[in-house]
Amino acid sequence: MKVQREMRSIEEINEKIKRGDAVVLTAEEMIELAESSGIEVAAKEVDVVTTGTFGAMCSSGVFLNFGHSDPPIKMTKCWLNDVPVYKGLAAVDGYLGATALSETRGFEYGGGHVIEDLVSGKEIELRAESYGTDCYPRRHIETVITIDDLNQAILVNPRNCYQRYDAATNSTDRVIYTYMGTLLPNYGNVTFSGAGQLNPLCKDWNYETIGIGTRIFLGGGIGYIIGEGTQHSPQGGFGTLMVRGDLKQMSSRYLRGASFYRYGVTLYVGVGIPIPIINERVASTAALRDDQISVNIRDYGIPSRPDRRPIVKRVTYAELRKGKVTIGDKEVPSSSLSSYKMAREISEVLKKWILEGIFFLTKPVEPLPRKREFKPLQIRRKELRVRDVMRKEVITANPYDGVKEAARKLVARGIDHLPVIGPDGKLVGIVTSWDLARAIANGKEMLSDIMTRRVITAREEESIDVVARRMAQHNISGLPVVDDAHHVLGIITTDDISRKLVGRRLTI
Amino acid sequence: MRVRLIYSPHVVEKPVLAEIILKTGLPINILEAKVNAQKGELVVSIPSSGKKLEEILTMFREAGVQVQKFMRALQIDYERCISCGACISPCPTQALRFGSDWTLEFDEEKCIACKTCVNACPVKAITLP
Repeated sequence: MKVQREMRSIEEINEKIKRGDAVVLTAEEMIELAESSGIEVAAKEVDVVTTGTFGAMCSSGVFLNFGHSDPPIKMTKCWLNDVPVYKGLAAVDGYLGATALSETRGFEYGGGHVIEDLVSGKEIELRAESYGTDCYPRRHIETVITIDDLNQAILVNPRNCYQRYDAATNSTDRVIYTYMGTLLPNYGNVTFSGAGQLNPLCKDWNYETIGIGTRIFLGGGIGYIIGEGTQHSPQGGFGTLMVRGDLKQMSSRYLRGASFYRYGVTLYVGVGIPIPIINERVASTAALRDDQISVNIRDYGIPSRPDRRPIVKRVTYAELRKGKVTIGDKEVPSSSLSSYKMAREISEVLKKWILEGIFFLTKPVEPLPRKREFKPLQIRRKELRVRDVMRKEVITANPYDGVKEAARKLVARGIDHLPVIGPDGKLVGIVTSWDLARAIANGKEMLSDIMTRRVITAREEESIDVVARRMAQHNISGLPVVDDAHHVLGIITTDDISRKLVGRRLTI
Repeated sequence: MRVRLIYSPHVVEKPVLAEIILKTGLPINILEAKVNAQKGELVVSIPSSGKKLEEILTMFREAGVQVQKFMRALQIDYERCISCGACISPCPTQALRFGSDWTLEFDEEKCIACKTCVNACPVKAITLP
C-alpha cells in the first residue's frame, strides 16, 4: 500500500474535540458530502466519520468474577439461570458465552439472554458445584445475584463486527432454519447481515486507523479493540475484531439476547467505531456506498462448510436492501438480520459523544493484520461415509412388475425398500412395504401406479450425519445411493446405520 | 379480514362456508379449523372489506354461525423489536416491511396469520393473540 500524505494526526483531532470544533459526520453524512462536494473537499473538511452496526454476533461473551463466599468454593461447574458458565478458570472466575443454551429452556433462552438480563439489572440465579478442597471446603452454592454484586463483568468478544457477510438463500424443497434465519424453499427468499455503508470495517477498508487499542462504542458503553477477531480474513475483505468493554457501563438497548428458531441462541451487539480521516484514501473508503460493497448469495440448502456452499449470485448491499433480488427468472424478497436502524442510531450516538467532548480517539498500538489465512479443519481420521455402510447388493424391480410379485420379493429377502429401475437402468421410483400393503388394500396392481416418483437419494461420498438427518427430515427409513447418471449403486437404511454404529464412534 | 366462525351443534353439519363461497365467488381461506360432531370453530380470512364484508358476515349470522372479528392480527412489541428485518423476507404475503426510517412496519390487511414471523423473530417481539 502506498504511503499517503497525512492530513491530520489523531492528536490534532483530539485537540479539536477538546476545543469543541472537530468536524464529525456519520458515515451516511460523509457519503452525501463526498457526492455533493467530491472526496478531496470531504477529506479536507472532515475530521472523524462515525460508523455503526447492530447484528447477531455469536462469538461474544462475558468474563465474570463472583467474589468469594464464606466458606469459600472452588467452582468446578456453574450456571446462571440454568445456562452453563465455563469454569476452567480460577475458583470464582467464569466465562459465559452468548451461544450457551439453558439446560431447562433450550433454544428459548441462553447466554445472550443472561447477558441482556445482567445488563438490565435483573436478578439472576447462580448455582455452582465443587468437589471441595482443604482451602475451598464448600461444595454447593445456590443464590441470587445482580450485575452490581459482581466484581467484574467484562464483555470480551472473540469475533465481532464482520467487515461484510455473505447472504443466504435455499435451493431445496423445504424450509430450512439457519443462523441466517428462516430460508424458504426453492430460493423463496434471501437474508443478509451487516450494515454495509455504515459497517465499521468497511469504512476503513485497509485498516489504516483501526487496530489494537482503538477506543469504540460497545454495547452502549466504551470499549476497546484488543486485536484481530477469530477467522479474520482480510485479503477477501472479511476482517473481524476482538473487542472488550465493561459490561457494567453498557445498556440492554445495544446488547440483546436472541433466539434463532431451530438453530440456537446468540447476542445482538451494537458496535460503533470512529474513523479519523487521516488521509484521502481513508476518506474515500469512509465514503463507500452500499452499491460499492458486494457479497455473494450462497445456497444454505447444501450442508457443506461455509466456503463450499454454492455461490448463487453476487450482489451489492444496495440491491439486498431494496428488498427484492432477482435469482434466475424469479424476483425474491430479501431482508436483513442485522438492524440498519440501530446501526444508524449507534453512528449518531458516537457522533454526539465526540461532539460533546466525552469521547476521544486513540491511536492504535498495532494495526490489524492485513494478511491471514483462514483454514478449514482437516479430518485426518477415516470417517464413515455412505459407501462404508450401504448395501451394494440391491434388490430392485421394474415399473411394470406386479404388486404381488414385488411383495413376495420383500418377504423373501426380508427388506422394506424396493428401488424401481427404468429400462435405461436409471432410478425412476421407490416402493416400500407400506406402499405395497396399501396397494393390496386398494386393489392396485402395477408398481408404476403406486411407486413414489420423487425419490430422496444419497451419494456414496456423503457423511452419515448428513444422510441420517435427511432421512429424519423426510420421515423415511431408507435411501437408494445413486451416481451422477442416477444409476443405483446401493441402498442405505436406518437399520444399516444403527447396526454399524452400535458400540463405536463415527470414526473407524 | 380475519374472523372466527363458531358453529353450534345444530349448524355444524351444514356446509355453510362452502355455500357462501359458491354464492359470493370469494376465495375464503381457512387458516385454522377445529371441528367435530358437536361443534366447530374456524378462523378464516375473507378477502373483502367495507359494506361487502358486512354483507358476507351477515350471511354467516343468518345461517346460524356466530362471527367474531379479529381486531388485530399480529402484535408487535416495539419495546423489544429491534427492526432487524428477520421477519420480512420469510413472510409469504409481504405483510411486513421497513418504513422510510428503517423501522419495521406491519400491514394488517395482508396478514394471513401463518405465524412464520413469530418464529422468525430473534427477539420474540411478535405475538399472535
